[in-house]
Amino acid sequence: MPDQPSLDRNLDQLLSEECGRSGPSDKPNILKVLLAVQERMGYVPIRSIPQIARTVGATEADVAGVLSYYPDLRTVAPGRHVIRICMGESCFANRCSRVLRALNDHLGIVIGETDAGRRFTLEKVYCMGNCAVAPTVAVDQDLFGRVGPEQIPSIVDCYR
Amino acid sequence: MTLATLYLSNDTSSRAVGADRLAKQLQQQPDVRLIRTSSRGAFFLEPMIEQDVTEGREGRMVWCNVTASDLPNIVAGRGGVPLQSVPFLSAQSRFTFSNFGITQPLALDEYRTRGGFEGLEKALDMARDSIIEELKTAGLRGRGGAAYPVWSKWQAARQTESDEKFVVVNADEGDAGTYCDRMVMEGDPFRLIEGMLICAHTIGATKGYVYCRQEYPAAAGAMRAALRKVEEAGLLELNGRPFAIDVVLGAGSYVCGEETALLESLEGRRGVVRAKPPYPAVSGLYRKPTIVSNVLTFATVPNILTRGGAWHASLGTDRSRGTIALQIGGRVAQPGLVEIPFGLSLRKVLDQFGGGMAADSRFKAVQVGGPLGSLFPESKLDIPICYDSFSDAGAILGHGGIVVYDEDTDMVELARHFMAFTADESCGKCTPCRIGSVRGRELLDLVHGGRATKAELTLLTDLADTMRTASLCALGGRAPYPVLTAIEHFPGEFQTRLRAQEQEQAER
Repeated sequence: MPDQPSLDRNLDQLLSEECGRSGPSDKPNILKVLLAVQERMGYVPIRSIPQIARTVGATEADVAGVLSYYPDLRTVAPGRHVIRICMGESCFANRCSRVLRALNDHLGIVIGETDAGRRFTLEKVYCMGNCAVAPTVAVDQDLFGRVGPEQIPSIVDCYR
Repeated sequence: MTLATLYLSNDTSSRAVGADRLAKQLQQQPDVRLIRTSSRGAFFLEPMIEQDVTEGREGRMVWCNVTASDLPNIVAGRGGVPLQSVPFLSAQSRFTFSNFGITQPLALDEYRTRGGFEGLEKALDMARDSIIEELKTAGLRGRGGAAYPVWSKWQAARQTESDEKFVVVNADEGDAGTYCDRMVMEGDPFRLIEGMLICAHTIGATKGYVYCRQEYPAAAGAMRAALRKVEEAGLLELNGRPFAIDVVLGAGSYVCGEETALLESLEGRRGVVRAKPPYPAVSGLYRKPTIVSNVLTFATVPNILTRGGAWHASLGTDRSRGTIALQIGGRVAQPGLVEIPFGLSLRKVLDQFGGGMAADSRFKAVQVGGPLGSLFPESKLDIPICYDSFSDAGAILGHGGIVVYDEDTDMVELARHFMAFTADESCGKCTPCRIGSVRGRELLDLVHGGRATKAELTLLTDLADTMRTASLCALGGRAPYPVLTAIEHFPGEFQTRLRAQEQEQAER
């Protein structure tokens, strides 16, 4: 794998930065390190687990355990844009299922998938705190409220 | 040229319905001074633009559900209605949310002008035990859902000897249908910081954390910015020593809203629930005494110090003192934030504030307290909104979320949705929740697909009973309630699916 050494170097630098900022305990904060890796790389490659474990002084099982626990930590690179549809109760009551169907139809993918052009990844989320203007769809950091299924093309098409 | 001063909310939900687009247009106009405030919480009227009434008189005029074409009239001061004429707002008792819609969230001077940091000043002049006594008089109970007396937690943490103690804000507002914590962090972050400082002073804490869910980037940003401002103003210190407060982001796990799972997550591990006792007030973050409380709980504290515990106790009902922040959502005409004293009936809340049902829809059920809350049919709406009435009814107030479902809602699908949620979010530590939720979802899949018999429904009820009695935390323990109340109040919808299956068998 040609990019392996540069991944290692980048990771090493990042990890040493992160571990330098330790909390009140001497123990490494695995979640914080994983979030920092994801922030930098967009995801946490499975193959980076041993390197992370070595640097933070935890076992590979500890790192893998934290990585697999949190829904927001990804082990696969997402598409250029992540679309999240809210499935919370207020959105449920306001027919988010119709919005989801419109997303499925328009993008040709279901929840958890990335389209062939790697433009969009579709994910579900339980509540974004936008319940008073449900249903809610987020594209990356942009939040849309009172979304009707007919608005989906105009919302997502401007993200290239 | 006269300058028109216009106020427009910068809250996430206001922005989600077009506030930023309006702001962009207004900022291009030389005759407009635009001030981005917090939101009043009347989200059904947003985007909402306000303007001061003619000089010399108090109050504001308001334009609701504004679109770009309304802007010329608004700038010219044509149309609009007096703010006091909006009953949704005028009928509320705003204390914790008194600054909302009025101040700029990050203007420390505005917060102080309106009484900010008076509670902390008062606390610093009081004996620590007197502060705890004041909270006891106030009758303040935790607003996150567990409703535990706040003074008792603070006393336990204060009395436990330790070289380090922590104050942790639970800002992992994960209950769907709730958003008041997000509003506090985005809209009045200094109030939360003041509450944390009062707590830290009282228990002798050495460091503070705000554990904020990742879904709230604007809230985390506002908290960080507010902390910088407080620090620059020299206010982020206690008894001559700097008091550091970190904002830490979660990673999408619902169960991390449970206090011990939150602490595990804050320490960087899997957000798995710890067995209690010991309680966090004695052994919490890094096994040190820790106060973990919800955002709203901390935000309620400054007013109690400023106005006195007796003032707080004079509001509400016997064992539910003060005000509750209700967040109305779902198929109502007027979704939004409502702060009122405890005690009003659920029916009145839905009528007076919810404004009845959304256009073309009829009421079917309402759920109070998030995804683990019980469902109420029309016949049960006269219940007063207070902790005791709800617990007597086997229900919870939780974090004050109210979601109304209309007649088109398929209750079997909804029940299945609840179990799927629990199965997705279970931390896996205890078996009743980890396995029970998956089996529950499978059983409801069968019912939903018309493939279940009566035996499966009985099995589901048995399973619910096990989860309820044997789960380690409220996720597994409460997960059966929305499902069971759906079956109890809407048995027909479940029976019909069964009959379809039995008929099919008979025909074969």
